[in-house]
Amino acid sequence: MLQVEGLHLRRGSNEVLHDIHLQLTLGQVVGVLGPNGAGKSSLLGVLCGELAPDQGHVTLQGRPLADWAGQERARRLAVLPQVSSLGFSFRVEEVVGMGRMPHGSGQVRDAEIVEAALRAADAWHLQGRSYLALSGGERQRVHLARVLAQLWPGEQGTTLLLDEPTSMLDPLHQHTTLQAVRRFADRGAAVLVILHDLNLAARYCDRILLLEQGRCHALASPDEVLTPGALKAVFGIDVLVQAHPERGHPLIITR
Amino acid sequence: MMRRPAALIALCAGFVLSTQALAAELPQRWVSAGGALSEWVTALGGESRLVGVDTTSQHPASLKALPSVGYQRQLSAEGILSLRPDVLVGTEEMGPPPVLAQIRKAGVRVELFSSKAELDAVDQNLKHLGQLLGAEPQATALAAGYRQQLDALQAQVKHAQAGQKAPGVLLLVGHAGAKPLIAGQGTAGDWLLRQAGAHNLAEHQGYKNFSNEALAALDPDVVVFSDRALADEQALQALLKENPALAASRAVREQRLVSLDPTLLVGGLGPRLPATLRSLAATFYPAAKGSFAQ
Amino acid sequence: MRQRVQPRTLIICLSLLCLLAVWLSLALGPVSLPLFDTLRAGLRLLGLPIAGDGLQQAEMILGQIRLPRTLLGLAVGAVLALSGVAMQGLFRNPLADPGLVGVAAGAAMGAAVAIVGGSWFGGMPEVLAPYLLSLCAFIGGLGVTALVYRLGRRDGQTNVATMLLAGVAMTALGGAAVGLFSYLADDATLRTLTFWNLGSLNGASYERLWPLLMVATGVALWLPRRARALNALLLGESEARHLGIEVERLKRELVFCTALGVGAAVAAAGLIGFIGLVVPHLVRLLAGPDHRVVLPASLLAGGVLMLFADLAARLLLAPAELPIGIVTAFIGAPFFLFLLIRGRS
Repeated sequence: MLQVEGLHLRRGSNEVLHDIHLQLTLGQVVGVLGPNGAGKSSLLGVLCGELAPDQGHVTLQGRPLADWAGQERARRLAVLPQVSSLGFSFRVEEVVGMGRMPHGSGQVRDAEIVEAALRAADAWHLQGRSYLALSGGERQRVHLARVLAQLWPGEQGTTLLLDEPTSMLDPLHQHTTLQAVRRFADRGAAVLVILHDLNLAARYCDRILLLEQGRCHALASPDEVLTPGALKAVFGIDVLVQAHPERGHPLIITR
Repeated sequence: MMRRPAALIALCAGFVLSTQALAAELPQRWVSAGGALSEWVTALGGESRLVGVDTTSQHPASLKALPSVGYQRQLSAEGILSLRPDVLVGTEEMGPPPVLAQIRKAGVRVELFSSKAELDAVDQNLKHLGQLLGAEPQATALAAGYRQQLDALQAQVKHAQAGQKAPGVLLLVGHAGAKPLIAGQGTAGDWLLRQAGAHNLAEHQGYKNFSNEALAALDPDVVVFSDRALADEQALQALLKENPALAASRAVREQRLVSLDPTLLVGGLGPRLPATLRSLAATFYPAAKGSFAQ
Repeated sequence: MRQRVQPRTLIICLSLLCLLAVWLSLALGPVSLPLFDTLRAGLRLLGLPIAGDGLQQAEMILGQIRLPRTLLGLAVGAVLALSGVAMQGLFRNPLADPGLVGVAAGAAMGAAVAIVGGSWFGGMPEVLAPYLLSLCAFIGGLGVTALVYRLGRRDGQTNVATMLLAGVAMTALGGAAVGLFSYLADDATLRTLTFWNLGSLNGASYERLWPLLMVATGVALWLPRRARALNALLLGESEARHLGIEVERLKRELVFCTALGVGAAVAAAGLIGFIGLVVPHLVRLLAGPDHRVVLPASLLAGGVLMLFADLAARLLLAPAELPIGIVTAFIGAPFFLFLLIRGRS
């Protein structure tokens, strides 16, 4: 489990994150919401070890994150960044196959996992194609398959961090992606996902962390966090919150 | 009594045979690297022995028909060996050293000559060449004649200097007129100028670029120009076009500009120099022009 | 998607091509040796007991001139190609060239110091001169690369973009320094400097070969072990880190492998360009960008290309010789332009 306590992060003279406490528990999807500049990506950076906090510590399964050896950590923690800058024409399955690098599971098993991950990300039909020939949304799904393959099958003890995995996807694939993430969590993985779509967050997350200017405005279930008052305070928008007619989770309607 | 003609015949036969043997020891297939050296070989009658020359060997014109072994500083070992030479002659400008080592290892003689701009070097070179060609008497004669011509020139120059001060001269070596290098102290160009009685205005060592302003400041009486790409009139036009500051100098105003063959500046002193020196001196001392003609 | 050549097929074809290139390089040359003589001389050199009468010339040409030259060509081609792959991995850009980091500029500066400095001190003993030149070029290349690498490091991380810019600045500085040395040099050393700038396998000897062979073997054995890590690095530095790769260490290795390799190659044969750009690109076009194929294939293809270029350099103007840098430039520059144009469409 990934845990952070008393986190402070400064960039120059700016305090980017202030006193954040967060624990990712297995089987749960935590969504991170907030306006631009709220510190969402910085939080993800600290959680995955890219950024060193000025105060506070990050622990993975009780050990400080920095103490984990590269490959050991990679078997338990996977990160999907917002953009990818791969400029070489690998095949789709080769890109996904890179996710298996931290493991020594052999070619046959790797190939099975790659196929399963591609299907989970609804990208199996892309196999055999060159990565550079894909659209932005298709590339995003290939990378999703890659991080899924890295932690496959997503059991207890694995943590998945995703930075806006739906930003370039069409509505159908926004849902299929989050459904795949949800299934991963259901198998036991701990998941943190940065989203900007309030309704997607409301539907797929077990808990929501609402960030405002680096501070935790709220950390609780979607029902508790996504209230008109909170959303007005943090985002500055006037909303109506109703229950989804079929599923019951909050539905945010902008007035 | 009858034995004397036999002895005489034996003596003659022995003499002939020994010269043949001597000739057989002399290298028959020559590769020459260095323009001046090739000219000396030709002057000593050895042109028929040349099987290959380098790119700087352009005189006489018949040499250009021979296979080229490349630039003298970048010779190809196998290229030279493919011509099956007995000897490779060149100055210390020849190279690269590993290639020379390879050629020696292949059993080919490598004879080095001096490229210094000094008369003693010419004497030495001619003597050495004479030995290699089996033409010692011709070599001695050539060396003596050369020295004589240069001494005569010196005398004429001194005579001319009685009536006229030594002109300030610059020697420019250019490529299609652009970025001319000025011949400074210690260069072959400098030697040429001094032999012809001029005062070389360039005080630096070696060949260097000058700014146009510096050129104008020196204001030479005569400009000698040498172009690697163009000949004579075209070279002059290009030179003046690329260096407009020269137009203001006395040399250009009074049209005292002389063209010089650039191959004369490479590979040591060659046989064509006395004639060139005479014509240079005639330009430097126009009043005494008649005395330089020969 | 375009069909890829199978890795095994590619390696086999390249190996055969390599053998052909070696054979041609040993058998052809300005001196026309009968094929039979070449064969017998070759076997004698290998130590087989074959009658040696009449073979002296063949043995000399083969053993002293063509064989060291062939080995030099193979080593230089392989090292330059591998360095190209390393640079393209480091900069994550298929158009990156080892020269970008300033290695070539540093080597040129070192050589200029050796050539001009040597003439100032009244010339060096002839035997020592080539080694001093090689050593100075090597030190120059390594020194500049190390400096550029340090400039690009901040907070324990290497910023590739900064390295690139520093490399460009170093190349400009190197060019200016060489220009200054050219100015201070006399005509003779100037010509030597110019020819060195064009690269040549001329005058290859076993003494000059050993340092390069050692470096080439080291690089050729080391880089393929990092093939998977290099693949991951192409995804991005943080992505590679998250896959468990020690990215900083890998980048350091790539920089030094390149500096060593290019420095040694340049020291042995002068500046020869475009191999590091053209070879990996062609290999990727044929067999895809997986480093597990690209590295060994580039090693072979680099050697092959170099040997064929050298054949052209030696034979086109025989008995004279073209500097090989001119041949590679004539192949590489249009190829580079073609890539740029294709990339735009």
